[in-house]
Amino acid sequence: MAGASMKDIKLRIKSVESTMQITKAMQLVATSKLRRAKERMESSKPYAAISHEAMAAAVRSCQGEDIPFAAVRPVKRRCYVIIAGERGLAGGYNNNVFKGVAAHSEGTPWCALPIGRKAIEKYHRLGVELLSDEFVKVEGLSVSLCYRIARRLIDGYEKEEYDEIFLCYTSFRSMMAQEVAIEQLLPIQPAGHEADEKPVDTVYEPDPAETLRRVLPDFLAGRLYSALCDSFASEVAARRNAMDSATKNAGTMISDLHLKFNRARQGAITQEITEIVAGAEQ
Amino acid sequence: MAAFHLQIVTPDRMVFDGLAEKIILRTVNGDVCILARHIDYAAPLGIGEARVTDENGNTRAAACNGGLLSVSGGNVRVLATTFEWREDIDVARAERAQQHAEEQLRALQHDDRNYAIVEAKLKRALTRIHVGR
Repeated sequence: MAGASMKDIKLRIKSVESTMQITKAMQLVATSKLRRAKERMESSKPYAAISHEAMAAAVRSCQGEDIPFAAVRPVKRRCYVIIAGERGLAGGYNNNVFKGVAAHSEGTPWCALPIGRKAIEKYHRLGVELLSDEFVKVEGLSVSLCYRIARRLIDGYEKEEYDEIFLCYTSFRSMMAQEVAIEQLLPIQPAGHEADEKPVDTVYEPDPAETLRRVLPDFLAGRLYSALCDSFASEVAARRNAMDSATKNAGTMISDLHLKFNRARQGAITQEITEIVAGAEQ
Repeated sequence: MAAFHLQIVTPDRMVFDGLAEKIILRTVNGDVCILARHIDYAAPLGIGEARVTDENGNTRAAACNGGLLSVSGGNVRVLATTFEWREDIDVARAERAQQHAEEQLRALQHDDRNYAIVEAKLKRALTRIHVGR
């Protein structure tokens, strides 16, 4: 009996060890990717911030006029741009995004533009109408692709396929904390952080409405790009953390198993000695 | 000459952040030149050459494409789709792009909705070649 359980424990230790090797390797990969992802995220922020400000200012300057893409119309359907990961094994990263979308979208019909394989699979399974399922990869997604997505979104908005566009992504707060964020892309909300300020006298050439119309794809693409970089950094950080704790858990499991193994071995030896002694006494 | 704070950003990075004396850009309505103490101003950018004169009087040329020029409170911001300094331009690549676009244009009808897209591609390639040489 004791011998068989020793063999079992040995096998368990081996399998946990190989799992630990994998989680450790994944952790190292995530750590090395993280630095680049964070750099990319930082360098994508100024454009998104400045363009947001400029758009809000342009909308404020349009006062009284019919502003394209800022007019609120009755919401028959929403569109969600959902950024998740390409792979799992990143703790709650993907699920948190899906939960956020589920809570936010309740009560209104909606369609989705998922980015990242996991998001595409999830919403395909749920039977949500997908605008496109070609954006599988998140890592290394280029600016020009963001322009394509932006143009597709604007196209659908103009054709009134949907009346509101929301962007759901994961915002990187720190190594340990990543939060799901949901922001409205269209219609543009004029309320910036300086919403109470009186409209400034800015000269627009040709005019504010035309300027807005022309710059909108840039604004959306910049916003998307920044959100993608943010999400990717979050994904890598989440994976690093998940793999870190997995490696730690495997370590404790192995030392527990070693303890059990030693105990079983000791038990077997003791039993053998008892048997020998009993035999000698007879 | 008086200098102003100039920021040039593209979606993936900050290209320039510092003091400048003058910037010339191509907007959709034609070229504009911004000097210090310009009134608040905004215009969408076209495809063309940009010239930036920094606080030391050195002028650098760049190929600038799309986006928004915004002047507010003395700060000048250029939100460009792409912005490449002359020394960073890959002329050989632009020439290939030019050839490719020209071939595509020959195959397209004028009223095709792709015509404008390919035409813009050609224009970008020509601007790059012009600035890069």
